Amino acid sequence: MANIIEVAHLSYRYRNGEHDAAQRPALNDVSFTVQGGEWLAIVGHNGSGKSTLAKSLDGLLPFTEGTITVGGIKLTPETVWQVREKIGMIFQNPDNQFVGATVEDDVAFGLENRQIARADMVPRVQAAIEEVGMTEFAHREPSSLSGGQKQRVALAGIVAIAPDILILDEATSMLDPQGRRDMLDLVRQLRTDQHLTVISITHDIDEAANADRVLVIDDGRLVEEADPATIFAQGERLVQLGLDLPFTSKLQAALRQRGITPPDGYLTTAEMEAWLWQSLSNT
Amino acid sequence: MAISFEHVTYTYQAGTPMANTALTDISFAVPDHGYLAIIGHTGSGKSTLIQELNALLKPTAGTVHIDDFTITPKTTNADLKPLRQHVGMVFQFPESQLFEETIRKDIAFGPQNFGMSEADANQLADEMLAMVGLDSSYAERSPFELSGGQMRRVAIAGVLAMRPQVLVLDEPTAGLDPRGREEMMALFERLHREQGLTIVLVTHQMEDVAQYAEQVAVMRQGRLVKFGTPQEVFQDPDWLRANQLDVPRATRFAQALATKGIQWDQLPLTAEQLADQLAARWPQRGSGDV
Repeated sequence: MANIIEVAHLSYRYRNGEHDAAQRPALNDVSFTVQGGEWLAIVGHNGSGKSTLAKSLDGLLPFTEGTITVGGIKLTPETVWQVREKIGMIFQNPDNQFVGATVEDDVAFGLENRQIARADMVPRVQAAIEEVGMTEFAHREPSSLSGGQKQRVALAGIVAIAPDILILDEATSMLDPQGRRDMLDLVRQLRTDQHLTVISITHDIDEAANADRVLVIDDGRLVEEADPATIFAQGERLVQLGLDLPFTSKLQAALRQRGITPPDGYLTTAEMEAWLWQSLSNT
Repeated sequence: MAISFEHVTYTYQAGTPMANTALTDISFAVPDHGYLAIIGHTGSGKSTLIQELNALLKPTAGTVHIDDFTITPKTTNADLKPLRQHVGMVFQFPESQLFEETIRKDIAFGPQNFGMSEADANQLADEMLAMVGLDSSYAERSPFELSGGQMRRVAIAGVLAMRPQVLVLDEPTAGLDPRGREEMMALFERLHREQGLTIVLVTHQMEDVAQYAEQVAVMRQGRLVKFGTPQEVFQDPDWLRANQLDVPRATRFAQALATKGIQWDQLPLTAEQLADQLAARWPQRGSGDV
């Protein structure tokens, strides 16, 4: 499939701080591509530059060097609105992104902005709210919802405008574990139903595990690019990169300390279970 | 006892048509230098409960004891100043409460407000800065130049500068990356172990509950529905899940193995405990080959 996003030699420097540290580039010569329909995770610790990268893709930060091309359109001050048509973004704190007095109004906001006629708007809003399973909350105030429900409403707002690309900027980091799993299930479903390309900026290992490919950002540079299993096999280095160790890696290490030798490399939970079960029943 | 609740009920806007009971008949006790985790779904009453700990909310009925302090519905605000010094509260996203020009001034603000001289408060600020793991070069910098995780440390240093004996933490690691989370939890553990602080932790992170807490309170719809050690509370994953609560990864993993027929005496809470139990039943070398 064709590349939907191409980023070449992107650099960015924040200019607001007087302190020396603020003058270090937040992004330093970053290049990568994203294929249409792919799920790409971008990982890195707090301050690594991964959110700066996400904001650059949507034209929210004027980058100083390099080029970004989205759906064949080169991102410039003139094309920024065309590019934003193609991208839906969800941020960390759901409270910072609500404008409507009710769930329905909020979901309609993006369509109003695009001057969609009311006759088209009403069914699209309803369909979008239904898609994320929030129909019974359509007339509720967004502030009365839980964090997970708020992020669902934010997703409905994106479904309504049907972009090609969904960017999740640490969108699950404020949710409780159940809310996080529900949201990832929903994103997986939307990706199939709406043929979305998904870019998730995260330091949650379960979220990164959903991706086809993982980019690792450290100190503003792209330091690694591989599938999740390859990345997860790196053990303690993951912690340095801003990720947690997968549970199976922790268990492998704990077993080795007790003289038991599990298979090397990254194991999924199911693989680990199967290996343990087989070993224990072999008596 | 560091903390004890006796039949505490709290009703928002009591006596009005808007009355809404957020806590119903809560009783429990935390020993001196204890470490309590409070878990529960959104809206279960966790936040209301912790606001009783320094009498930001006073019980509508019942009694709260915090060390030598007693809070009843009749307690007047004039009596509360020493309690507020005794119980340090770290609310969610405490970094949003930073306001001073320099980090030192921000940390010294609380103690000065309670009557300490500027010189003493500044010296205390530098000690607290070191305690949260930031070196003295930070003292003269603006708190607003820092990363989110560093700002949160400064805010916590400001709470610690009040020399509280009870530290209440409302989701202190939300939004931090895994390393930041681990460092933050290690800081609280050190304060607990080395300085004997009583810790009350509200969290969704069951791994942290398993690793650090000595007691767990489970809240649901304003009631305390379970109270015990992590080992006791996490023995019933199905019940927790029915209450929309998680269990630690190791517990979930052990439960999945149980469905394949592996029996556990006690469900493990951490990878280490799981590995211990697996090692104990591991087939002896050589005898396993068929």
